[in-house]
Amino acid sequence: MDVLPDEQETLIQETAREFFAAESTPALVRAAEKDPSRYSAALWKKIADLGWLGISLPEDCGGQGLPLTYAGLLLEEAGRAIAPVPLHGTLVAALVLARHGSAAQRALLRQVVQGELILSFAVQGLQGAWSPAAEGLTGRAEGEYVVLNGSRTFVDGFRESGHCLVLYQAEGDGVAAALVDTTSAGMRGTDYVTTAKDSQARVDFDNVRVPKSALVGEPARGAAIARDLCDYAAALMTSQLAGATRRDMEFAVEYAGQREAFGQPIGAFQAIQHLCADMLIAVDGAELLVHEALWRLDQGLPASIEVSQAKAFAGDKCIFVARSAQQIHGGIGFMMEFDLQLWYRRIVAWSLRCGSVREHRQQVAAALLEQPGKVRLGMPLVPA
Amino acid sequence: MDFTFSEEEEALRDEVQAFIKDNFTEEVLADLTTGKRGRGFGPKAAPIFRKIAERGWNAIVWPKAYGGQGGSRITQFLVEEEFYRAAQVVIGGGGTGTPAVLASGTEAQKQHYVPAAIRREIIFCQGYSEPHCGTDLAGVRCRATRTGEGDDIHYVVNGQKIYTTNAQVATHIFLLVRTDPESRRHAGLSILLVPMDTPGITVRPLLTVQNEPGGPAGTTYGEERTNEVFFDNVKVPASCLLGEEGDGWAVSQRGLNLDRVGAWRYLISVKRDEDIVNWLKSGDERAAPLKDDAAVRDKVAELWIEGQVCRLMTMRSMTIEQRGQAFNYEGAAEKVWAPEHGVRTTEAIGQMLGPHAQLLNGSPDNVQDGLYAHNLLSAFQSTVNHGSVQVMRDQIARKGLGLPKPRK
Ligand SMILES: Cc1cc2nc3c(=O)[nH]c(=O)nc-3n(C[C@H](O)[C@H](O)[C@H](O)COP(=O)(O)OP(=O)(O)OC[C@H]3O[C@@H](n4cnc5c(N)ncnc54)[C@H](O)[C@@H]3O)c2cc1C
Ligand SMILES: Cc1cc2nc3c(=O)[nH]c(=O)nc-3n(C[C@H](O)[C@H](O)[C@H](O)COP(=O)(O)OP(=O)(O)OC[C@H]3O[C@@H](n4cnc5c(N)ncnc54)[C@H](O)[C@@H]3O)c2cc1C
Repeated sequence: MDVLPDEQETLIQETAREFFAAESTPALVRAAEKDPSRYSAALWKKIADLGWLGISLPEDCGGQGLPLTYAGLLLEEAGRAIAPVPLHGTLVAALVLARHGSAAQRALLRQVVQGELILSFAVQGLQGAWSPAAEGLTGRAEGEYVVLNGSRTFVDGFRESGHCLVLYQAEGDGVAAALVDTTSAGMRGTDYVTTAKDSQARVDFDNVRVPKSALVGEPARGAAIARDLCDYAAALMTSQLAGATRRDMEFAVEYAGQREAFGQPIGAFQAIQHLCADMLIAVDGAELLVHEALWRLDQGLPASIEVSQAKAFAGDKCIFVARSAQQIHGGIGFMMEFDLQLWYRRIVAWSLRCGSVREHRQQVAAALLEQPGKVRLGMPLVPA
Repeated sequence: MDFTFSEEEEALRDEVQAFIKDNFTEEVLADLTTGKRGRGFGPKAAPIFRKIAERGWNAIVWPKAYGGQGGSRITQFLVEEEFYRAAQVVIGGGGTGTPAVLASGTEAQKQHYVPAAIRREIIFCQGYSEPHCGTDLAGVRCRATRTGEGDDIHYVVNGQKIYTTNAQVATHIFLLVRTDPESRRHAGLSILLVPMDTPGITVRPLLTVQNEPGGPAGTTYGEERTNEVFFDNVKVPASCLLGEEGDGWAVSQRGLNLDRVGAWRYLISVKRDEDIVNWLKSGDERAAPLKDDAAVRDKVAELWIEGQVCRLMTMRSMTIEQRGQAFNYEGAAEKVWAPEHGVRTTEAIGQMLGPHAQLLNGSPDNVQDGLYAHNLLSAFQSTVNHGSVQVMRDQIARKGLGLPKPRK
């Protein structure tokens, strides 16, 4: 038991922090919001050159083979600098392919690591429910093809991704996953306009013919693949969210130390100090929970409940922190020309992605209340 | 990062659980419960404590030179957790006395106090609070005057302490006194380790809201009494001084990191999270409709997740200790989050149970012998003692975040 980052983890974290601070400036973030692609290709290239896209991918896929906690720390740092790159979608899809993909799909990961292939993933249907049940998109077998019909929503980075890891309901076979070429005929993306001004899109499937070679894993493994995809996605989204929120809190603390009212820095008033203390506690809590979830995922231990705990807590608390940072900034934080809003808008969006507080709490409640036997904190729960 | 206990630690957990099963009979549990409530441990409890000490379980983390095991803080936590869960007893010699003796005592003092504390022949109570000051302890007025010469150098103590828990059973009081009458605030304070049987000490009970009826076993905030302690020309040998005279503030802080964190604080804050879930699943006919209520389910999950944060913050504190590092703000953060979580859970359970949550031990129709009602009576206590959540937040903001002190 040693729940804080060790020396090597701290080193990677600090290196990434310096890199993103220098390379992902607010000016770059603002420019990306205006760019149709919504991301910085130059920054993406630099991240790839550092080998970070393969940080937690196996060595036989061209990765560094480091534990998943490292990918989490990387996303915390990217989130901290609200880096405009499709890191989350690419890493999530790549992790699933590394674990469940065919030899050909795993071979694609070398291109991913080089920064030559961006990936996205698609889980949610038109209702927006976050669930591995894959509602809203069906696949019908037709000879050597599966034909997809329906919709996927909130697919981040769809426009720039070469392949999209799609969950669907296979007729008669339950949940399945396919790695779909995003240029396939009948597939149409429509950009959303989100609070984050990011690259989320709705994707409609109109008789999209996917070759069977594009299916991921055996049909019988569909549910497990979907579970992994949802777990990786929600956990790493929490990392990104916690990283952004910590920076947001730091802005507020810095500002409180400088801004004067009533003859002293506002940060000297106990009301502001106590708010800042609660903000720090909230960010720390989110971080501790997601570190545990990622560590368990990496160890191959059941982790869905730990992931839900982390995302539910972060979804609730990170927006509290960001809103409080706005409060501490008074009027100026509300202004477009002031950078704080760049963080606030993303924290709002990210707290809503990959499962809402309500949905994740439902998972936790079911594990607590539907499974037999007494519960004890510290003893893992089993999903219902 | 590593989020599990080692195999050896899990084996030890099994051993401790087996010990508890074999030794914590109904009679022993009853004795432990009344002891925990402040009435003193009954005759059945004493042999249990002896057996625990024989196994070294209450001194895993203390140095071998003074009768400990020289083991890990994490292992100590694990064992303490099992005993607190089983009977709400704190088995670690922890608390205020022994860690401070280890941190600031002379070699002779360490030899005198630590092994005896492990055997439970020495039990400290904590003499900090006074009627006019608790949170702001630098205002301590209790006086100790140094007099005599040669072999008879001693202090004469006059004054009063209040809320001195366990003073009625303690062998010694860990006493914060003012040794320099001209001093103000943190300067001029000293720590004396005073035997409670010294002439001139009077202990007067102060009953708490948990006094009548007493809470059932499992009440986590169930102290029925504490005390006032009066000092009337109490003559204390100079050898009872811990650390340097006038350095009492630093001595009281040193080695006391673990006073605010650890198994006990963790469990009093989270035990309710488990209790309510287990009750909802118990088949009690009042629980059945609640279990399927969407609002209850959302709340229970929210609280459970908060409880996980309590656990992880405790593990973070243990990690820092185990690494031999010092807390910056982490102990204070835990001391805000966990007690306030305990309050939120306790009050939320009250609303779930509705009118039944008022019913105390012995009342008809109560739920689990009134457990939840008794917790409602004092869960908030944990947000006041050992550093109130207000001053803990001050520490987080100033030490952890570097925010400025207010201008006067
Ligand atoms: C959209 C918008 C429209 C506006 N319209 C107008 C307008 O038409 N006319 C106009 O004159 N103004 C207007 N304002 C300005 C608004 O009234 C100010 O933003 C507000 O008074 C706060 O002042 P400030 O922004 O300077 O923040 P500050 O005064 O610097 O306050 C910053 C933070 O410090 C806190 N703080 C300050 N003192 C203390 C204390 N003693 N103890 C604890 N905390 C403290 C505040 O509560 C706040 O959270 C507008 C602002 C906005 C955002
Ligand atoms: C059951 C029980 C057992 C106890 N056991 C012991 C024991 O064994 N030994 C011992 O020495 N003491 C013990 N105490 C005393 C306990 O430590 C004190 O109650 C505590 O330190 C608070 O002191 P106080 O009661 O004098 O309240 P005060 O210090 O008067 O505080 C009153 C309120 O003012 C707030 N406050 C104070 N300063 C500030 C500030 N700067 N900013 C904002 N708010 C502030 C506090 O947070 C609190 O909410 C015990 C208390 C109880 C109830």
